Amino acid sequence: MSRKLLIIITITAVLAAVIIILPLALNSVYWTSILVLIGINILVVSSLRTIKLLGHISLGHVGFSLIGAYGSGLLATKLGLSVWLTMFLGGLMAAVLALVLSYPFLKVKGIYFALLTLLTAETLRLITWYWKGFTGGFWGLLKIPSPGPIVIGGLTIDFNNVNSYYYLTAIIVAISLFILYRLENSHLGFKWRAIQDTDVLAQSVGINVKWHKMLNFTIACFFAGIAGALFAHFQHSLSPDANARFGVLMSIYLVVYMVVGGESKFSGPIIGTVVLSIISELARGLGEYRPMMIGAIAIVFILLIPEGLVGLPFRCKLWYRKLLRLTQRGSA
Amino acid sequence: MDASAWIQAIANGFALGWMYVLIALGLTLILSIMGILQLAHGEVYMIGAYVTYFLCVSLGVNLYASMIISMIVMGVFGVILEKFLFRPAQRQILPPIVVSLGLTLILMSFAVTQFGLKEKSIPRLAEGSIMFFDSAVPKDRIIAVGFAVALLLLLYLFLKRTKYGQAMIASAQSPEGALLRGINPNRMSSLAMAIGCALAAAGGTLAGSILMLNPSMGTFPLMKGLVIIVLGGMGSLLGAAVGGIILGLIDGILPVAFEPGITSVAPFIIVIIILLVKPQGLFGHE
Repeated sequence: MSRKLLIIITITAVLAAVIIILPLALNSVYWTSILVLIGINILVVSSLRTIKLLGHISLGHVGFSLIGAYGSGLLATKLGLSVWLTMFLGGLMAAVLALVLSYPFLKVKGIYFALLTLLTAETLRLITWYWKGFTGGFWGLLKIPSPGPIVIGGLTIDFNNVNSYYYLTAIIVAISLFILYRLENSHLGFKWRAIQDTDVLAQSVGINVKWHKMLNFTIACFFAGIAGALFAHFQHSLSPDANARFGVLMSIYLVVYMVVGGESKFSGPIIGTVVLSIISELARGLGEYRPMMIGAIAIVFILLIPEGLVGLPFRCKLWYRKLLRLTQRGSA
Repeated sequence: MDASAWIQAIANGFALGWMYVLIALGLTLILSIMGILQLAHGEVYMIGAYVTYFLCVSLGVNLYASMIISMIVMGVFGVILEKFLFRPAQRQILPPIVVSLGLTLILMSFAVTQFGLKEKSIPRLAEGSIMFFDSAVPKDRIIAVGFAVALLLLLYLFLKRTKYGQAMIASAQSPEGALLRGINPNRMSSLAMAIGCALAAAGGTLAGSILMLNPSMGTFPLMKGLVIIVLGGMGSLLGAAVGGIILGLIDGILPVAFEPGITSVAPFIIVIIILLVKPQGLFGHE
């Protein structure tokens, strides 16, 4: 037990050191911005996986990100509230909407849930597109402020700087991931898994299935909202365009990140997001062929390696054994 | 508002409605027979339109001939997709969704790289318009509706009068029951994908001759198709047809009476109400 703990502490320390040193080592605004976006995506994909614990696949998680982003952005620009407060309120708004919608939504299962969430995201995007007076319409919401500077021991941290925003994102994402991880391994997480396996049985042993489903969806959407708010105050502008952050394509990418990483383990979405984002960045030369590459990767993974990247060692072992057996049979 | 604007709105609604039906019927056939939500159906529609564009504008083939060739090409494409991508992923929830999402990315990227982001247009089916109760109804819309109705009539005859059609209906109603009666589910799946993709190609071509072609044109009809699936009852073919017309009329009439923002929210609200009041849809069965 103590040895396992030691390993966990070492891994965490190394990861933390890498995360802290990375922007300093890269020393490039472009790559640090990419890292911020990867961090935000990790949070969205991880919260997507939280819903997957119930056995549901949401194709509309960007919709709740949109609520968080626009909610926080509008409160900060129109009412001039402190960004630290509006980010939290953005997440809360997404959670409230999710709580209201979860009642009709969770009546259905499987592909119908996917269908509904997809429609929700698209409808929310169209509302922001048409509601010109309030959200800026298709011009987008502009001039969203950065979080106010904070002073620690005489040192002023200004969040207009990419590096400091990177560290802020890292801290918020790390805390959120920790909460999601703890929830998943608490009695709540076990109940969610029980509902995924068989909701009738879960109901019969006294789990309030409906309430636990609603709670799960609400929590997941809260973190999607927080991620959206982080995005809003990083980009300083939001667009409801279909090809921008909140379109169907982004929803597709989120699911692909989750599946390629592997949805069975908590680390899956994190690994999937990091690996695919970096591959996609490095393949910039491919231009418009990049979506094709990502799509092909997704299909190859789901058909051949359904466990995702986290299950790759296990898969390789299986393939190796199969190969061994074939060669033995060949020689015998 | 005067009467002619209403007539115009209803005519537009009917034209839209039949386009929606073409998409929704394909989606419903695939959903009920294969148990798969084909989220790349909008992209099949888009590629179908581009195939027609390529044949008609680049190669100079007759418009109607190119449309039929496009339907055949996409039908064969559907069979290939079913055999190599969807069949290995069948009977689960996540894999078919991921396959269709990956396919969406691939097809969209293909269209962007091959045809560019610039909007293209297929020649109009006809010029001019017909006067109908003091309001002008464009001829090309009437022809488009005529085509859609003719195709659906053919599909209806196929389903009602032929052995394969009856087998498909049986398979859609109860896959296990159909299997027990000796109906090959794989063959039915191929057939469903072929018909669905051909209908989508026809829809894409007809819509492309009225509107414009661009690589992201598939998202909008896909969303409409999804609404119709819930509205008409999940997996009900009659429901898809009636739901398509209802949604088309709503989309035709609402923009005349209200702002576009309200029109975009209306389908969503309808879906929520249906789910709360009658989750099996208008024509669905448990």
